[in-house]
Amino acid sequence: MFNSKAILIGLCLLCATGPLLAQDCHLALRGHVTDADTKEALPYATVFVRETGKGAVTDENGWFAIPDLCERTPYTVEIHHVECAHFTQVVQLTENAEMEFHLVHTAILNEVVIREKAVAPPPTQAEIAVEQNDLEAAKGLNLGETLKKLPGVTLLSSGATIAKPVIQGLHSNRIAIVADGVTLQSQQWGNDHAPEIDPFTADKISVVKGAAGVRYGAGAMAGAVVLEPAPLREKDGIGGWLSLGGFSNGWGGVASGAADWHLPGRSLTFRLQGTAKRSGNLRAPDYWLGNTGASELNFSAMAGWKKGRWRHTVSVTQFGQRFGILRAAHTGSLSDLEAAISSDTPRNNLNYFSYKIDRPYQRVQHNVLKYKAEFRFNDIWKLSGQYNFQYNQRREYDRGRNNTTQGDKAQVAFQLWSNTLDLALEHLPIRHWQGGVGVQAVQQLNYVSKGGYIPDYLGWGGSVWATERWRRFPVPWEFEIGARYDFRRNHVTTTGNGNNDLDEQLTFGNVSGTLGAIYHFSNDFSAKLNTGLAWRPPHVNELFARGVHHGAGTYEQGNPDLESEKAWNSNLTLDWKTSFASAMVTVYRNSVQDFIYLNQPRDSIVLTVRGPFPAYFYQQDDAVLQGLDASVSVSFIPQLALETRASILRGYRLARRNGENSTYHDWLPLMPADRFQYGIRWTVDGRRRKVDGGRRSADGEREAEGETFVRLLATTVVRQSHIPEEGLTKAPPPAFTTLGLEAAHTFYLSSPSGDLPIEIGLNVQNLTNVRYREYLDFFRFYTDSPGVNVGLRAKVSFGH
Amino acid sequence: MFNTKLHFPNLLLLLAASITLLFSACKKDEATEQELITKVVVHLTGTGSSLFNEEFEAEDPDGDGVWNTIPSLDIPANTVFDVHIHVYDSNEEIDDEIEAESNEHLFTYKVTGANLTVGDLSTDDNGAPFGIDSRWTSAAASAGTVRIQLIHEPIDKNAADPGGEVDFEVTFPVQIQ
Repeated sequence: MFNSKAILIGLCLLCATGPLLAQDCHLALRGHVTDADTKEALPYATVFVRETGKGAVTDENGWFAIPDLCERTPYTVEIHHVECAHFTQVVQLTENAEMEFHLVHTAILNEVVIREKAVAPPPTQAEIAVEQNDLEAAKGLNLGETLKKLPGVTLLSSGATIAKPVIQGLHSNRIAIVADGVTLQSQQWGNDHAPEIDPFTADKISVVKGAAGVRYGAGAMAGAVVLEPAPLREKDGIGGWLSLGGFSNGWGGVASGAADWHLPGRSLTFRLQGTAKRSGNLRAPDYWLGNTGASELNFSAMAGWKKGRWRHTVSVTQFGQRFGILRAAHTGSLSDLEAAISSDTPRNNLNYFSYKIDRPYQRVQHNVLKYKAEFRFNDIWKLSGQYNFQYNQRREYDRGRNNTTQGDKAQVAFQLWSNTLDLALEHLPIRHWQGGVGVQAVQQLNYVSKGGYIPDYLGWGGSVWATERWRRFPVPWEFEIGARYDFRRNHVTTTGNGNNDLDEQLTFGNVSGTLGAIYHFSNDFSAKLNTGLAWRPPHVNELFARGVHHGAGTYEQGNPDLESEKAWNSNLTLDWKTSFASAMVTVYRNSVQDFIYLNQPRDSIVLTVRGPFPAYFYQQDDAVLQGLDASVSVSFIPQLALETRASILRGYRLARRNGENSTYHDWLPLMPADRFQYGIRWTVDGRRRKVDGGRRSADGEREAEGETFVRLLATTVVRQSHIPEEGLTKAPPPAFTTLGLEAAHTFYLSSPSGDLPIEIGLNVQNLTNVRYREYLDFFRFYTDSPGVNVGLRAKVSFGH
Repeated sequence: MFNTKLHFPNLLLLLAASITLLFSACKKDEATEQELITKVVVHLTGTGSSLFNEEFEAEDPDGDGVWNTIPSLDIPANTVFDVHIHVYDSNEEIDDEIEAESNEHLFTYKVTGANLTVGDLSTDDNGAPFGIDSRWTSAAASAGTVRIQLIHEPIDKNAADPGGEVDFEVTFPVQIQ
């Protein structure tokens, strides 16, 4: 295909003669990269064409190919390899070409700049990645904690042990959590159901903000959290890392490690990874938080191999968690709740330290089995298929009348089995269009034990999607267009909540779409505009919940007449990056038709067996969420950076007063309060590592060198004054400011097999031990948030 | 198209091992126990010359946690009653269980409006109030309510707010005739 002869005119820009009329832009450059000294082929070198922004990675034999280059146009080809000096050459093509590149071996590893260009270009929605240092520092906590420093991302929590991410005001079934290409299928309908993800499995975590339904399916109305594992080892031998951490609040400890093994002389690679975590009662500034201990045990195993044009990966993960629910947050009735709310200190609190996890507690388990196969037809077309099985189980152990005799029996168990099959046909640029088409099929079975608040269901779903992306150098525009159709059928039956003899078939179907553009003002400055339609069928709990929700101390009733939510989300992002400063500002408006929310009509009380409970009813209204996320960082001298971030959001619904036809704006409940962060950061070597995915080198190694820095970051959250007209059970908490301190340093331990890098880190949360409560923490009714927490960690990587 | 042959026996081993891990990790699904109180019976027996003997049943037969029926306690005036509370979990009487754990339980009675007094609560093993048995005294004809609670693990059985958690709470209308 590329066997025509090469024409190479190095550094000869002026040789370009003749008119550029009728220019052919479908030439391909095929190249072979070798080591200039040893003449050996260099696999996994990164090749990048500066002008087109396109890149490739050499295969095992040192070959690469870059399609869609224009004739008689000078291109700067950059080649990087970990072991070699950076190489740049200007080439011009008149026809399909084949070239040899010789790289000079060098030991100065520091000079190598590694770029990785994913096959899929970044979305036209706002996308932000968790900084590597923040990721390392927060891995010992939970997924929510790792995300909450990102502008536009907040947490919905039930105490410090249960936290779920909120993207631009929406959460749970309205965002997708995607780990290693698998959308988490768990029971996210409950406010006290945190995502079942071990952050230690991720090498990169990013958040896509905006309607992401085309990419991630029905439900991704507000965005997605995307976790990517480190690539499997491509070099023969064994490598890995071990990380240990300790936290003063709750006297918690965490250990996590991974080992990679690439079979010598074959393409087969394995990884085994595991995490263990244990912590006891947390402490607020003035008292212990009784029964807030947690334990976690997670495993994952991956294997990958290549054969010819095939590439396969198999993985299994197991997530297991057991955590206590604050004893003082367990209220049996409205009178208990009122007593607890009016008390300044937690009522029925166990005010001492203990590792014991007693009732009420929850046990959560999640398993994923994934198999993915990719087949490359040629340098352009790729077909991939992925199957995953997921099993999710939640057990809720409540306090009860005969809990002492009950042993290990849970009051409620929810189980969810999911099978998902994805097929995608994707292509690299053809006449400047890059994209693909795909289909997805999902099957789900949900089984709830007797008296389980929601009914059982069996669901079937199917989707088709297509998306294309246009980019042509040097046109400063990029365009994206995509569409998707999802179909979902649920068969709902009951096993014994209030909906006796329920047997219904429900069908939902809708179109999602996305339209986006990026304009590059310069290399440093771009604007992204995206508008998208996304939708979500009402979840079974919103339709049929009926009963006491013990975790929340409420009586909830679904509404079988609810329709699908439809969101129209538009956002504009300005992104500016230079060597001394960077800024990213996103403004958005998410207009949701038939937004589903829990409403508590004033004085609505249900006489439950445990006494009168406040009654909440699912209902829907049109709603609008709009806001601004911003982050700015400026370095006046190379070592010193000032950082600030802001998240501002307003969410209202179009409410109607009884008997009136006109609507008015009523603020939505549970919308994040405005949040500002500002900090100062001292970096010892004065050079910040690139955060845009540059951490990973082409052969899957992690960059050994960490940076040495100290950072002081303040977070101010204002009082949420935009609350529903009807008021709240407990008024929003006052504004507060907390301080965080972080530091990290890497040193090297010499060993027979070379230097072992050891990264140590310090992470102090709530440094000044401030008393505060978060508006989006359900436990704000009962207690203050935890006080000062000093975290120390050490991580050693081996086998590079 | 995707059921490609696995070329490496050790991969099969890994797969087998990981699937074993996967399913051994799913513990056998032990039955859950939703301890639902589905019925509370107030049994009033008149003392002295009264021949009054009636049971009043508050019921939640569908088990959704909401009382479906709460009857009115229509009782004669100027009478003294011995009162016993029966508690049912899915139509199985569990009074014995509660009595066995009397130290951890407390029945409370709160009368509003009606001319009725509740006293002589039965005691637990430590001599503290328990209250599954009590004595009610009605006076002149009147109407009101009586709230009966079963509190689990009260912190102080003698306090006005005993703490603990409510196992059941039912408020009966009272009609003294």
